[in-house]
Amino acid sequence: MLSSYQAGLVADGSILLLGALSVYVILSTGQLSLGNAGFMAIGAYLSSWLTVSVGMPLTLAIVISAAVSAVFGLIIGFPALRLKGLYLAMATIGFGEIVRTFFLNFEPTGGAGGFSGMEHVPLWYILGWTVFTLGCVMVTERTRWWLEIRAVNDDELAAGLVGMNTTVTKLMAFMTGAAIAAVAGALFAHQTLYIEPASFGFERSTEFVLAMILGGSSLAAGSIVGAALLILLPELLRDFVDWRIAIFGALLVAVLLVRRQGVLDRNLFGLARLWRRVN
Amino acid sequence: MGVSIFIQQVLNGLTLGAVYTLIALAFSLVMGILGILNLAISEIFMIGAFVGFSLITAGVPVWIALIGAMIAAALVSIVIARIGYEPLRNANHITPMLSTLGFSMILQNLATNTWGSDPMQLTLEGWLETRFSFGLVSLSVVQIVVFVVTVGLCVLTALLIQRTDIGRALRAVAENREISRILGVRPRRMILVAFALSGLLAGAAGVLVGLHYSVITPYIGVEIGLKAIAVMIVGGATNIWGALLAGPLIGILEVLTVAYGGAAMRDFVVYGFMIVILLVRPQGLLGGSSKTSGGRV
Amino acid sequence: MLKSMMTAAVLGVATLTTMPAAALAEDLTGKVVKFGAIVPASGPFAEWGRANTVALKMLEKQVNDAGGINGAKMEITIYDDGAKPAQAVSMLRKLADDDKVLAVAGPATSSAAEVVFPVANELGIVSVSQNSSKPGVAAANRPWAFRNTVDEAKLATVVVPYFAKTFNVKTAAIIYDAKDATASSAGTKIFPKLLADNGIENLDADTPISFNTGDLDVSAQVTKLRSLQPDAVVLSADYSQAITVLREMKRQGMKTPVVGSTQLMSSAILAAYPELPIVAPTTFFAGLDVPAVKAFAEAATPLMRAEKNLPKTIEPSLFDANIYEIVSLFVQAVKETGVTADPANLAADREKIRDYMASESDFDGLGGKVRFAEDGDAIKSFFIVQAMDGKWTSLETACSSPEAGACDQ
Repeated sequence: MLSSYQAGLVADGSILLLGALSVYVILSTGQLSLGNAGFMAIGAYLSSWLTVSVGMPLTLAIVISAAVSAVFGLIIGFPALRLKGLYLAMATIGFGEIVRTFFLNFEPTGGAGGFSGMEHVPLWYILGWTVFTLGCVMVTERTRWWLEIRAVNDDELAAGLVGMNTTVTKLMAFMTGAAIAAVAGALFAHQTLYIEPASFGFERSTEFVLAMILGGSSLAAGSIVGAALLILLPELLRDFVDWRIAIFGALLVAVLLVRRQGVLDRNLFGLARLWRRVN
Repeated sequence: MGVSIFIQQVLNGLTLGAVYTLIALAFSLVMGILGILNLAISEIFMIGAFVGFSLITAGVPVWIALIGAMIAAALVSIVIARIGYEPLRNANHITPMLSTLGFSMILQNLATNTWGSDPMQLTLEGWLETRFSFGLVSLSVVQIVVFVVTVGLCVLTALLIQRTDIGRALRAVAENREISRILGVRPRRMILVAFALSGLLAGAAGVLVGLHYSVITPYIGVEIGLKAIAVMIVGGATNIWGALLAGPLIGILEVLTVAYGGAAMRDFVVYGFMIVILLVRPQGLLGGSSKTSGGRV
Repeated sequence: MLKSMMTAAVLGVATLTTMPAAALAEDLTGKVVKFGAIVPASGPFAEWGRANTVALKMLEKQVNDAGGINGAKMEITIYDDGAKPAQAVSMLRKLADDDKVLAVAGPATSSAAEVVFPVANELGIVSVSQNSSKPGVAAANRPWAFRNTVDEAKLATVVVPYFAKTFNVKTAAIIYDAKDATASSAGTKIFPKLLADNGIENLDADTPISFNTGDLDVSAQVTKLRSLQPDAVVLSADYSQAITVLREMKRQGMKTPVVGSTQLMSSAILAAYPELPIVAPTTFFAGLDVPAVKAFAEAATPLMRAEKNLPKTIEPSLFDANIYEIVSLFVQAVKETGVTADPANLAADREKIRDYMASESDFDGLGGKVRFAEDGDAIKSFFIVQAMDGKWTSLETACSSPEAGACDQ
């Protein structure tokens, strides 16, 4: 049986995992988003407003929020087609900041004062969504569509030449990522019961990217390791008191240096399979 | 009165813009030459501010404090290059960016433990305190120092990049690292040079901010760093003069939005402007061909 | 010797009042009474958290040196939340579930309190914030949430008319931090209403002047303020942000007096613009001429200054006094209500502490008597203070409750 403290960490980790997956799906097509906290904010605020002010059941509210966020993903995804690499990343930083500033000034959802009144969701509900989403992504990873996605990532021009519709693939990825981030936001809102614009800043967006890259950006399962590391490390470093954050930062750098492809990668799994076969 | 208030606001915007210019230039040296986003520049700037502050408080003349802080910031930048970037130079663009994020955390923690988290304040004395008033418009000696140092450093950087062997080598690395190696340039040394220059500029910006606003905390880099990235984009990451144009432009835009539109609109305007530029002219206002914009992640 | 006398002076405040209730007291000899604290010892408010830690360790030593709580040893488990709401919640859960403490002091910030208080209710453990002054945060989370702070609205109601009279204010302009929930609520709701109630013209009512936490440059805002030519400036911001505004006012040569909320209270603000009168309400400042405050400040200051990662010029702040009072109050609750400190009675013990907090208890804090109102916020006397020439001076004493005699000794 988990203590309430451990259960809280598992919930935080699950939400972070969803955030990391939202970045992962978009990155699979070679697009880096540093603004997923913006989609998370849309999911958090919209779902909370739906459950608190409209009285809608949570699951329906989450589905609607994810759909609306996907539309925003499409709106961002279109102009993003024109941009590459870090320039796209910087445009998404701009998007994230604009969403945050919007909620900071939007009085109907409390502005700087934040929004509350949500009902607490049980841990199994959060885990349910996380497992469901992770499962969907992992199943997709084994489909033909995923090969197209990887092809767009590896060589967009060639993928286009052999007749793949790279535009649709990239837009779909952005919409899916936006929807997953919105689910993360909705669960976050109904886990903490209070949301404010400061919860969805640049720091949150980079946390998602960090979890995904640390765990391994070549497979969805990597994000599990990344999210777990980011949640557990700061807790394990409590004994360092005043230097906790610095040591956390140093460990991050160290992990990236030792395993630039992330803790998990496809080769690692390949090696394990090879090992089994040899024995 | 309306006119003098307007002039005052433009002066306010120019001062802020000068700071943006230097930090944006620090970002674009690393971005334009090595193609990575060094997120720790925000914190190198902050360290520069604290070192400058401490030197001035200890009675060191301002010019020497400026140079001292610039060197300290450059050293920090070189350490980041050696540990955080060099080993990852052949990785994708994201991993080195995240490793610089790790350094941001370390530097913020270090500064908090060294100088405290409460604002540190500077009291200026002597000639630095002088200010000129023209009716309602007021201009301080420090503001003039900020303008002169910013323009001076931009000119020096441009000369270095465009007229010297080091500059040519840097541009060669920016163009194609492998070919530059064949041509006899040592890319590893150039990486350090780019980071060092970037650190010098960020450190100078820190000292100027300390002098002008005279209050700093370990977290001053966070917001201003993101704005400087926007300035870099608007000006064009591959052109040094881009930052000198875009800095004051965004500074004035920001100040005038606050003055005549409402403070709440400010960040919409700045980041909205950046996104528009990215869509219409991804290479920035003064950027060269659009070929160099981006690269694969 | 001197130190132990001071210790006795500080503790005397708490121990004297326990006598009448001694009948209820349990003998706790050989037991350990555990409390928890959540402080922001890393991140942007690291100084608050680290100073809080020193104040709490000092209290722990004082109580145990004086024989503990009815013979039991007192232990305060202190966790850092980095001023992050998510971490604050984790720490509350850890204190409640893993460490099995009787009550928790903290968290500090209003953002953290917003997310921690509902969990405190869920787990049934008292949580008392030492900083939060955003209106209504404890009130929304009864019965386990408390704040040893006074709602900004109650303070400003007294401060604004006093300030207006003293500085003959007919017009004023408000500048506030739009990103800070407390400052923005005071800047957009509390102060505009009070200006109107007191017949002061609000010059920027139509286009409010604001800035964001973390802004380095507020020159445009201050130029705008200056162009309005108000008699006074209402500055609604946390002190670390307020300093940026005051510095800019100094640079632009604005000489209008400033009034603000408790958020301005800090020794750091004294250096920002020493020539300018700055008026704010507070329940504590280190130079306050009250015996208990003096004893506390004299004991805590050298300890804080000896701390490696704190500045050498630090003074105990309002928040240090608040958290010291909170745990002192827990100590008194254990002494008076028959708390058993037996793990088997944990829930009952926690309830006793809550009921004691909510009751009309007789607790003497540092600046005077402390009680808690229905809404969970403290009822205590406060001081209208003015920053002039580098120090705070108390101008007037008032009570945070309108009831007659609520703060009487």
